[in-house]
Amino acid sequence: MKRDLRIIWEEFRKNLKILLCYPVVWGFWAIFPILWVLPLIFQGKALVGGLNSPSFEKLTGSGNYLAFVLIGSIVSTYAMSSLWGMGQSLREESYWGTLELILTAPIRPFPILIGKAILESCFATTGAVIQACIFTFFLGVELSFGKILPVLFIMVLLLLGLYGAGLALAAVTLLIKESRGLVNTLNWIFYLFSPIRYPVEVNPITRVVSLAIPLTYALFAIRSMILLNKSIIQLWGSVVSLILFDVALMAGSYYVFLKVEQKVRKTGTIGMY
Amino acid sequence: MDMVMHYLGAMWAENIKEWKIELSYRFDFARSLVEPFVYVLPYLLFGIAVVGGRNSQSLFNLVGTGDVITFVVIGYLFMGFLNTALWGMGFALRKEQFFGTLESVFVAPVPRWVYVGGMALHSTMHQGLIIMVQMIMLQLIFHLLIDASGLLPAIGVVALMLVALYGIGMMVASLALIFKAGWIIAEALHSVISVVTPIAYPLAVLPIFLRKASHFFPTTYGILTIRHFLIGEDMGFSVGTSMLRLSLLCVGWAIFGLFIFSVVDRKTRRDGTLGHY
Repeated sequence: MKRDLRIIWEEFRKNLKILLCYPVVWGFWAIFPILWVLPLIFQGKALVGGLNSPSFEKLTGSGNYLAFVLIGSIVSTYAMSSLWGMGQSLREESYWGTLELILTAPIRPFPILIGKAILESCFATTGAVIQACIFTFFLGVELSFGKILPVLFIMVLLLLGLYGAGLALAAVTLLIKESRGLVNTLNWIFYLFSPIRYPVEVNPITRVVSLAIPLTYALFAIRSMILLNKSIIQLWGSVVSLILFDVALMAGSYYVFLKVEQKVRKTGTIGMY
Repeated sequence: MDMVMHYLGAMWAENIKEWKIELSYRFDFARSLVEPFVYVLPYLLFGIAVVGGRNSQSLFNLVGTGDVITFVVIGYLFMGFLNTALWGMGFALRKEQFFGTLESVFVAPVPRWVYVGGMALHSTMHQGLIIMVQMIMLQLIFHLLIDASGLLPAIGVVALMLVALYGIGMMVASLALIFKAGWIIAEALHSVISVVTPIAYPLAVLPIFLRKASHFFPTTYGILTIRHFLIGEDMGFSVGTSMLRLSLLCVGWAIFGLFIFSVVDRKTRRDGTLGHY
């Protein structure tokens, strides 16, 4: 256990050092997601002439579409970074020429991936906090302190499942080498079928497909708490769904990772590019 | 004349090379045709959710047309040409660096801008194909209400807008040689231009400082004029004014892009940083 913790810490430190070499990259991820939601705000303003929409209220319970898309932006940036970060983590080692060294070291690869995941989540959390502060101070979206803990609880539940999925993606990278296309496709599915930018209830197809994506439950719960003042007890259905997703994704992904790792070691394809 | 043919031959060769590389990754190629469709749908569904239908009285009051779907779709489709400049051209040199062929390309007996021009040609053809596929898909699903007689002038506007975008592409391509992580420059510029360009909304809803900034980008006049021809959008100024401003931007961006490119090209050669990763 102590040995594993040391590996996790060293991996965290190594990736932090690399990340700090590119300040523009983390500056970019902290600020630019805000720009990506501005078109929706301007679009809404042009279409209804203000920041409140009765039609939107019928679908979501709140006519404040500005807060709706801002929350979607923060949570989705958080979620996507876990998918990208974990999915590409082993590929990056392959680019740097260090993948073989890591996988042939006398340690289990799992703590290494946990070290990477912890850094990814710290990085994503920092970005989300900066965005939340900017939204609160400049755009007047209220995020009261009492709601922060339950929101964080939902975020942790979401991240556990997504890092589980990220582990499976990392495993797929070992197998097919270039998983960018796969991660991109997952990105699309999330973007299109979960309520990141629009209420999925607006279309029967998106409403049904969204039920298979954990991000849907997390966004529903977080928005209900922030915009509709619901308590976490009232949202027990979403919480239970997220826990079930977490168990399934983590167990399934761990199994996939072990199997794939065994396979690539046996077939000797780790070093292939 | 021989020299022009020589340059054109090099551009065509570059274009063919890119097609060959792209068609080797069929899944990614197919994805590139569908991707913009996936990205435009949330904006359409958001529009429908906000308005409660397809027609917006508020939009009609602002631009003289209330069809949210057609308005947004045309904006996003033609905005795709921005990718030509920022990703197609902007990443041209960086891609060669990834492949390990940048130095070979740079010592070829043609000016470097010819190489970037070849990438621009390829990227324009690829983007044109993407837009055609998208147009057909979206027409079949949403039955866009477009004035067919406006198609030809709209294509003319696209051609003019492309010249200015090539200038921006030249600038980004050269900056990627200095900053190496060129995707940030491309992504940052893409984000800024996408906000100030009236893709899914008219200029009138932008804050004044953004409205002023939008006048420096060819996409503003390009998208407004294309939509004017295709769905009769009221631009707030005449077609002549729009075309004049677009032409000035063409000249300005093309000269600026070539200037930056030549300065960076000389600098990286002098500093010996071309091969740096």
